[in-house]
Amino acid sequence: MNDFLQYTLNGLTVGAFYALVALGYTMVYGIIRLLNFAHGDFFMVGAFLATGVLSLLTGSGLPSGLVVVVALVAATAAAAALGGVSARIVYLPLVKAPKLSLLVSALGLSLAVEYGTALSQGTGFRSVPHIGFLSAEHAIGLTDGVRLTYAQLGVIAVSLALMIGLYLYVTRTFTGTAMRVLAMDQDAARLMGVNVERTIMMTFIIGAGLAGTAGTMYALYYPQVNFLMGFLLGLRAFTAAVLGGIGNIPGAMVGGFLIGLLESYATGYVAGRWTDVVVFGVLIGVLVIRPSGILGERVAERV
Amino acid sequence: MRGISGLTGLLDSARVKIPSLAVFAVVLLAFPSIADEYWTDVGVKVLLYVVLGLGINVVVGYAGLLDLGYSAFFAVGGYTTAILVGNYGVNWWLTLPIAMLVAAIGGYLIGYPTLRLRSDYLAIVTLGFGEIVRVTANNLEFTGGPDGVILPFRPVLFGYELAGTQSMYYLVLVIALVVGLGATSLTRSKIGRSWESVREDERVAEAVGVPSIRVKALAYVVGGVIAGVAGAFFATYIGIVSPTSFTFLTSVLILLVVLIGGRGSLVGVFLGALVVQGTPEVLRSIGDEWRIFLFAVVLIVLMFVRPLGLWPARTRRGARLAQSAEEPPLPEVGVAPGEPLLEVRGLTMRFGGLLALNDVDITVGRGEVLGVIGPNGAGKTTVFNCVTGVVRPTAGKVVLGGESLIGRHPHQVVQRGMARTFQGARLFSDMSVVENVLVGMTARMNSGVLTSLLRLPAQRREEQRAGRQARYWLDFVGLSDKATRFARELSYGDQRRLDIARALASNPLVLLLDEPAAGMNPSEKADLMELIGRIRDRGVTVVLIEHDMAFVMGLCERVLVIETGAKLTEGSPYEVQQDPRVIEAYLGVDEDDEGDEDADGDLGAGPDDTTAPTLTKGQ
Amino acid sequence: MENLTRRLGTGIALTSVALLSACGGNGSSGGDDGSGPIRIGVSAPLSGDSAAAGTDIVNAAKLAVKKINKEGLLDGRKVEIVQVDDACDAQTGTAAMRKLLTQKVVAVAGGYCSGAVIPETMITDRAGVPFIADASTNVEITERGLKHVFRTIGRDDKQSEFAARYMVEYLKADSVAVIHDNTAYSKGLAEATKDTVKKLGAKTVFYDAITPGAKDFTSFLTKAKSTKPQAIYFTGYYADAGLLLKQAHELGIDVPIIGGDANQDPTVIKTAGRAAEGFTTTTAPLPDFIKSTADFVSAYEREYGTEPGPYAPYEYDAVNVLADAIARAASADSEKITEALHATKDYAGVTGPINFDEKGDRVHPIYVTAVVEGGAFVPGKKLDESGNWVDAKG
Repeated sequence: MNDFLQYTLNGLTVGAFYALVALGYTMVYGIIRLLNFAHGDFFMVGAFLATGVLSLLTGSGLPSGLVVVVALVAATAAAAALGGVSARIVYLPLVKAPKLSLLVSALGLSLAVEYGTALSQGTGFRSVPHIGFLSAEHAIGLTDGVRLTYAQLGVIAVSLALMIGLYLYVTRTFTGTAMRVLAMDQDAARLMGVNVERTIMMTFIIGAGLAGTAGTMYALYYPQVNFLMGFLLGLRAFTAAVLGGIGNIPGAMVGGFLIGLLESYATGYVAGRWTDVVVFGVLIGVLVIRPSGILGERVAERV
Repeated sequence: MRGISGLTGLLDSARVKIPSLAVFAVVLLAFPSIADEYWTDVGVKVLLYVVLGLGINVVVGYAGLLDLGYSAFFAVGGYTTAILVGNYGVNWWLTLPIAMLVAAIGGYLIGYPTLRLRSDYLAIVTLGFGEIVRVTANNLEFTGGPDGVILPFRPVLFGYELAGTQSMYYLVLVIALVVGLGATSLTRSKIGRSWESVREDERVAEAVGVPSIRVKALAYVVGGVIAGVAGAFFATYIGIVSPTSFTFLTSVLILLVVLIGGRGSLVGVFLGALVVQGTPEVLRSIGDEWRIFLFAVVLIVLMFVRPLGLWPARTRRGARLAQSAEEPPLPEVGVAPGEPLLEVRGLTMRFGGLLALNDVDITVGRGEVLGVIGPNGAGKTTVFNCVTGVVRPTAGKVVLGGESLIGRHPHQVVQRGMARTFQGARLFSDMSVVENVLVGMTARMNSGVLTSLLRLPAQRREEQRAGRQARYWLDFVGLSDKATRFARELSYGDQRRLDIARALASNPLVLLLDEPAAGMNPSEKADLMELIGRIRDRGVTVVLIEHDMAFVMGLCERVLVIETGAKLTEGSPYEVQQDPRVIEAYLGVDEDDEGDEDADGDLGAGPDDTTAPTLTKGQ
Repeated sequence: MENLTRRLGTGIALTSVALLSACGGNGSSGGDDGSGPIRIGVSAPLSGDSAAAGTDIVNAAKLAVKKINKEGLLDGRKVEIVQVDDACDAQTGTAAMRKLLTQKVVAVAGGYCSGAVIPETMITDRAGVPFIADASTNVEITERGLKHVFRTIGRDDKQSEFAARYMVEYLKADSVAVIHDNTAYSKGLAEATKDTVKKLGAKTVFYDAITPGAKDFTSFLTKAKSTKPQAIYFTGYYADAGLLLKQAHELGIDVPIIGGDANQDPTVIKTAGRAAEGFTTTTAPLPDFIKSTADFVSAYEREYGTEPGPYAPYEYDAVNVLADAIARAASADSEKITEALHATKDYAGVTGPINFDEKGDRVHPIYVTAVVEGGAFVPGKKLDESGNWVDAKG
């Protein structure tokens, strides 16, 4: 029972990261039907920037809480800016091009960001300074032996808050509404006066910003960064977005937490070496039964 | 480009085409003797990627199924050969067909359960399949775990060992040629057209007689077989098969062969393979990070300059128009003229809580022209969709010539003699006019994969006959002079006529026309009336949905009025027009309003299908 | 049609040019031509995750060549390094070997990932070119009866024996957990350890693989913890070890954690912080553990300004023992060098005396433990000749 609780707790923590990154996949897919392979790399850039800020400011005498906040804000802003610039330069000129061309650009951008980082930051693994109040000593004892650390609590709470915020933004604000209209029909959106380019840019900026936030928390929680770190996580987040129903914001959240839990339980009750097989097996099974994912709607594919 | 116009001008003439092909062939053949061992090795890998590119071109380029796990089939072929040769000492040549078979089974296994998925979902499923294959190979004992399987034997041909780099080069060159020829025969046959039609619009393809699920599964199987061949060669050439050779990145590289080269073209695949496998070697000296970074930048720039790839498929496509026309005889049916041919009883369709059709009865006599009218949203197109199997009605019977059609797939309905057109003429826009018509004949053609692959005489005769019949139908609707254009280049009126020709090409007993005259000017309408008259005169039974009363009056002996999903009345055009209930139903409705219940939709399968996609609040 | 022809023509012209310009060298391959520099190939991962280790290996080889050329070798001919990237991958590795053969190398010294070295040695062996592995420990490399394969480092079954004895005999653990990462090297070492633990009468209560790069191993460790092992042996790479240690610490796992020789890297300590204290690795003696390597270490530091990595001395020895064989053979012929290598007797390498058994494996490789204390690896224990555990230092 204790083990089950520990698996659950851990699955939720990992799932929170997947969910945050999955949101960006889902938003971009919803708007321009693009599997943005570079999204995991926005996450990586956020993690690197946060590492830089933390290395610079740790030991400068500033309170560690403030250092973390500065890192979070800086990394989020940097990732968001990168997302916006990518959209402007790489994706917007190709919005009308065939979908596969966009896919190639996304692959190209992903490699460019990864190896650009490698060229400037090296290919090795870099450690992230430890922040005292995030260490495992600070925890709430749940049962005998199972503890919820403040760091875990923070990751889950921040993720949930951001997801709810995003949901409200998309459903309640003008830009959010524009995004939804754009997702339904680009031409109609244009006719209704939606600034299509700007809305697409905003989608990238928000999605990449969320990835940057996730990257910062990731670097704090798993204190080691590397230029390829976005790849595996991006893949899992992409899986989560599809499982939840790509294009659907609550779907991305549900998918993220589900993949996290599934991985955790598969590791615990099957075996670590079979985790990927279990995760993808379940994904394929779900899609065969529900071809548009758990919360996805049946959508007519446009060619 | 202007700078090298002299060169291109020189190469322009046909006089130069043959010599340049010859030069290319000589370079390919002479390459190992010019190049050293290392570059010959690069050449072998380029050729292996040509083979893989040809395979994924079938899946992605032709059938339009995005595959991010193609290396799984490559792995299956490689492991099959490696295990049989390495662990059981089987002769390498014998393992080749086995590797192909196992990869084909793999293709079917992944294909069958997932083919109802849209392509983006297919992408993740194929990716997952690729990972499952790799991780499983890594975990199992008999695949050698992470060490992989080592092959001690080398293929021997006439006592000559073939594992040397040079001999391998020629062997793979031959295989690339054979696979290239095979792929070309397939893609130029009925099968290739079916793949393309599915890529263009799967539901329309199904509705005009293409068995879409089978066609897609076939694409996976053919793609799997080709990757299996490549895997068998890869295994014996590298001498070891291990999981690190079949990662997601391998799949991406293979996919890039087609996307860089340009889908659907042989030259494109060759160029793509050269770029993907060749440039890294040329650039190796500048350091790995710079090499990959530059490659990435080139990819991005390439998509601006040539979004369709370096060498996309020809701009003027496919089968030429046949010189002579051949009129197909109308199929036999055991129903006398005037007797009921199509009978619909108690047709009811519910979408969730919405009752779209309520207990509709329709009887159409053989040779009759029946008009179906009704206000927007009345359910007219839903009747067509239920009758043709696009959606399965909640209740009711549909009988054509004594045979029930309930539960049949749309392509089976076409086979049984009922064809249809679509609101707004949904053509296969990136295929030529004549190809559109040929796709309409799929249901009446019998050639299978093997006969098409080998171009056996029976298959060639069938293709030639199909070409002559296509010529007949294009003559019939008056589009022969535009036969080699892309469908998307046609005027609106011509698109409508092509839609009708495509439906007629299946040589139906019953033709369903969905608002054929919408948006046409009076002279186009007159032409269309004349055309429908000639279709009727051939003995084809016609049911048409139309708003234009004059049009309906001029053609139909009988008119059926549908309102809010139920039959309001039925009778001669004159009776119907006088009926006060009909007048009331139409009151305030603009007759020329084109938007029927599903003008935007899929085939108008109901509210479920027209739900706006994505970024919604969830449900 | 004209358009098609033109594009076809252009494409063919361009392709032909590309193909022709791609062909650098000429004709036949392999073998020394009796004049000019003697070429020795060095293959190592110079790209990807293991690039740092690869660079270290190439540096060591260059250092050895510098020394050899100063001392003079054969008929006043210089020795030259030809370095190639094998990217830790079978396909890239075999291509790299073909490239080396076209550059007429007389022998190869290098390699890192066993998964690449196994196919690489198949190519060199067929060409009759000796390959001395400096870092690849997978048993398979020398178990295939290849005549031209040697290694200066010990095999997995030797390291695993040492690791198993350390856990079962020194730490007195009755039950151990063995964790690998599903790569060729890691799984090979893990399997062998499991077997030896059994032979020594203890039990392996947990045996499973992590996904490299997954970062979160908490669930994995929770499961391992539930099997109550008295020691944990991790055979994966250092990049995952730091996080593994940190998370084990957070879960309150307090049994000794031991890592294989791929964990000998300061990144582990930086990432795990205080959780790294007490972490022990089984490794070949590190440069600063062995007296004989002192000169090598200082020379390396003078040349490159950093400390040598764990495999640098083995690569240094590999190149030197090769030069020794060339001198004894008095020839740069690959077959004669191979014969001479097989006849090597007590060559005084920086990692101790070097002898090869009939498989090409090093006779009596030495292992030690290194322990993290105060934020750095310090010498731990080793087995003396009579099988007693003694301090490794000295």
